[in-house]
Amino acid sequence: MKKNGNGTDIQIAICGSAGDGTIAAGDILKRAMSLQGYKVIAFDLYPAEIRGFGKCISRVRISSDQTYSLKPQSDILISLNDPHAIPHVGEVRDYGAVIYEDMPIARVPEGGHISAHVRPAQIPYGLSIRYISEQATSSARSRNIVVLGYLAGLLAIERDGFHQTIQEKFKTKAKAIAEQNIKAFDAGYNLARGVFRLDTVAIRPPRHAKSGGDAVMMTGNGAVVRAFLDAGIETYFGYPITPATSIMERLTVEMPKTGGRVLQTEDEISAIAATIGAGYAGARAATATSGPGLALMAEMLGLGVMAEVPSVIVVSQRGGPSTGLPTKTEQSDLNMAVFGGAGDAQRIVLAPTNVEGCYKCAGKAFEIAEKFQTPVIVLLDLYLSNRYETVIPPKRNPFAPKPQKALAALGGNGPYKRFAAKPDHISPRAIPGEEGRMHTVTGLEHNELGRPSDLPEVHMAMSHKRHEKLKGALKLRDLTLCKRFGDDGPVDVGILGWGSTFGEILEAMYAAQEEGIRCSAMKVVMLSPLPRDKVAAFCDDCREVLVPELNYEGQFASLISGELGRPVTRLSQVTGAPMRVEEILQEVRQLSAKARPKRRRKKQDMGDERASEAGLP
Amino acid sequence: MPAPRHHVIIGSGSAGFGAATTLRARDPDCRISLVTLSSLPFYNRYDLPRIFKGCHDWRDLLPIMPAKYDELGITLRRNSRVVDVDGKAQLVLFAHNERLHYDCLLVCAGGRGYLPEILADQRHLMHDFASFEAAMKVHDALPRRGTVIMLGGDMLGIDLALNLLETGYKVTLITTPQTFWPHRVDDDTHARLIAALEDKGVRVVGGSTPVAVEEGPPNGSARRVVLQDGTEIAGDVVMPFCGLVPAVEFMLSAGVDIERGLLVRPDLRTTGENIWAAGDVCQIWSDKEKEYKFYHGWRNVRYMGELAARNMTGSDEEFKAGKDRGIWLDDDNAIQSSFWEN
Repeated sequence: MKKNGNGTDIQIAICGSAGDGTIAAGDILKRAMSLQGYKVIAFDLYPAEIRGFGKCISRVRISSDQTYSLKPQSDILISLNDPHAIPHVGEVRDYGAVIYEDMPIARVPEGGHISAHVRPAQIPYGLSIRYISEQATSSARSRNIVVLGYLAGLLAIERDGFHQTIQEKFKTKAKAIAEQNIKAFDAGYNLARGVFRLDTVAIRPPRHAKSGGDAVMMTGNGAVVRAFLDAGIETYFGYPITPATSIMERLTVEMPKTGGRVLQTEDEISAIAATIGAGYAGARAATATSGPGLALMAEMLGLGVMAEVPSVIVVSQRGGPSTGLPTKTEQSDLNMAVFGGAGDAQRIVLAPTNVEGCYKCAGKAFEIAEKFQTPVIVLLDLYLSNRYETVIPPKRNPFAPKPQKALAALGGNGPYKRFAAKPDHISPRAIPGEEGRMHTVTGLEHNELGRPSDLPEVHMAMSHKRHEKLKGALKLRDLTLCKRFGDDGPVDVGILGWGSTFGEILEAMYAAQEEGIRCSAMKVVMLSPLPRDKVAAFCDDCREVLVPELNYEGQFASLISGELGRPVTRLSQVTGAPMRVEEILQEVRQLSAKARPKRRRKKQDMGDERASEAGLP
Repeated sequence: MPAPRHHVIIGSGSAGFGAATTLRARDPDCRISLVTLSSLPFYNRYDLPRIFKGCHDWRDLLPIMPAKYDELGITLRRNSRVVDVDGKAQLVLFAHNERLHYDCLLVCAGGRGYLPEILADQRHLMHDFASFEAAMKVHDALPRRGTVIMLGGDMLGIDLALNLLETGYKVTLITTPQTFWPHRVDDDTHARLIAALEDKGVRVVGGSTPVAVEEGPPNGSARRVVLQDGTEIAGDVVMPFCGLVPAVEFMLSAGVDIERGLLVRPDLRTTGENIWAAGDVCQIWSDKEKEYKFYHGWRNVRYMGELAARNMTGSDEEFKAGKDRGIWLDDDNAIQSSFWEN
């Protein structure tokens, strides 16, 4: 975050066991704060199991200015389950707070209470969460809401936003449920108002409070759904897989309202096949999956490329390979998204870096797929799919509707050539059933009419056409393909990033600049085809190029060094969690130290040259 | 290899903190748990009047930075209420339902402010001065140039009163038998000390016992104290300073002898095995006077903590009280007390 010195920038971590209401508490917190005009970024970590065991953590960063990632340290940790929360005490900053149950009903083993782990520089706030919940609602189930009220009271946040959010959250349930939860919230809130604050966590009124009404909290997957609907999606085919499932779940509710159809297919192969079929029939069609699903879709993707049929495939990456880490984040499907499949099957791959980007990329993907008659993959990851951010929805729908007359400019006499050679390599596309446009579509190599052909000149020409037409995507004006941030001109360190990690990269870059390091960052949204010239120009400006990413192999780094033929420094991690800003910053510091002597040497060389020109020794 | 000895210290005041650092110096490998009800690391309670001189950040009161505890390998367990000690099983039981095993237990729980029984029901109308948070609440409740009504006036209270006067507040002292506690003064000395306080600007009210504390009228001072003779005294904050009562409730089933405080031998060992005590919580046997005696004051308390730690780690020293100079007036007619000496 660019620091302004007097704004709010706090992060709350709520940690409990599955079934404790941890994620629900985080959800209410982020929505209530967003409602009051704060910028919010939130990310939940939860176990693969449904209930009873497994750790859940909801981290919510609340700020008055735009931020790009979660902070490495939280200001407050709330424990709803000590064994799970104890390992996270260390993530609370000095003079931050730890809030916990001080009257557990079960016997606690020695060292099992969180008070034994709160570091001397942290402030412990023990309260009888269960007792208060039972007093307020005759049930211990509202512990999560009690503690949320306590937090709000401690930080002196207006309670109205929370009441409103609680009512909204439980509006589909009996009225008494919302009332009980508000009672629980107020019980915690009132208790905290009498507590003397010892921590140094402060929240200030948001500067742009009035914009709070326009802002909404949205996840990456939520933004994809919103974009699909705004872009006029007509058919969706999918098979459930974490972390993409919520896209289908929400579309199942929303699409029928506008006449759309959702079909859960028997597997991912069917899903992509049906999506391509619908695209062939002229519908706006999409599917969403994760790495294992994309692996199954590889063959059909090739058909989409060969048959030049538009389709949109959202891929939310998770830890792999195989079943891997279903509920942990990773960016290890880049190679498969860009290169996966048989033959030379280049396709368009977009990788948004934030929730707003998810909206833009997912919506624009339909237009791009239709324009270039090819599959478009929108590559997310679990961190981005599930991460909440405050976004202000556009006032006007930014997406173009599906062209009504795809063949308006077709004209001409003679047989319809579906794959005719054109200067821009994009052939006139007809929808099956249009009079006079009868044609063949096949996965076999084919001639301009679509008829199978294995002639060498045909395969060479068609391969060339399929690749060349995609270069047009690099000229798209209404979508950010890549963008530079930070210092202009030559810099010591440039950070090249993609996907969700770019938030941490930006934070690290601003931190490095504050330390006096000349530093820039570039996000690359279009991974295929790669905006090579712009990326190369950026790299040319950087003495050292760092590529942080969440995979073991350094897949993006390999892509860049392969394309540009220049070395880059890799920072690759597979912890299942987002990369930490401090780790990127540390690498930037080291690279900066490495770059500086080079700069001095170069200056010295230049000085020697000048001296030489002047005839001096 | 045997597990390192686990020393548990209940209370993180001057005695407890002094004991912890001494233990660490003498036994680098031992495990030390410092248990306290406080939310904060150790600070000197005698420094709390500094709050009225602008010191509002608790970190400024700390003698060592919090990170030092980690360096010293001292586990600080704050907000932790001990509800019982099982002397046979060598377990400390917390209100949060955890049991902590000890090899050696040092009790430095100190004392809590004594309040005459007649006023016990009105505790919610009074402010204590037992912690940083409590002191800040007094500060926040006091209007500029406001008045503190002090009940009793033990030596902690007298110190606060003098600081309050220096910073522009007013103090009304209602004397009780606990005035100048823990010193015992004769009538003549008492009169001279009272005169010295009045000379400094303290309004002193004596001769009648406070029987009630009430809320003040809507447009008047926040509080009033009613005396037995019917006199009503108005002020903004009422603070009892009537001496300390040793905090020993949690030791009742520990198998140690208790009179008012924990009874200890001159080496500060209680009658329970592996249990020691130091500070305001204990009464030390005096061979000379043939009775168990309290020794209050910061210097004594700190010394006891360090001595107990030395004896817990192999020494065999006896407590030797420093010369008690009591309470007196210096050449400037200012009150001086051995209680305040450090």
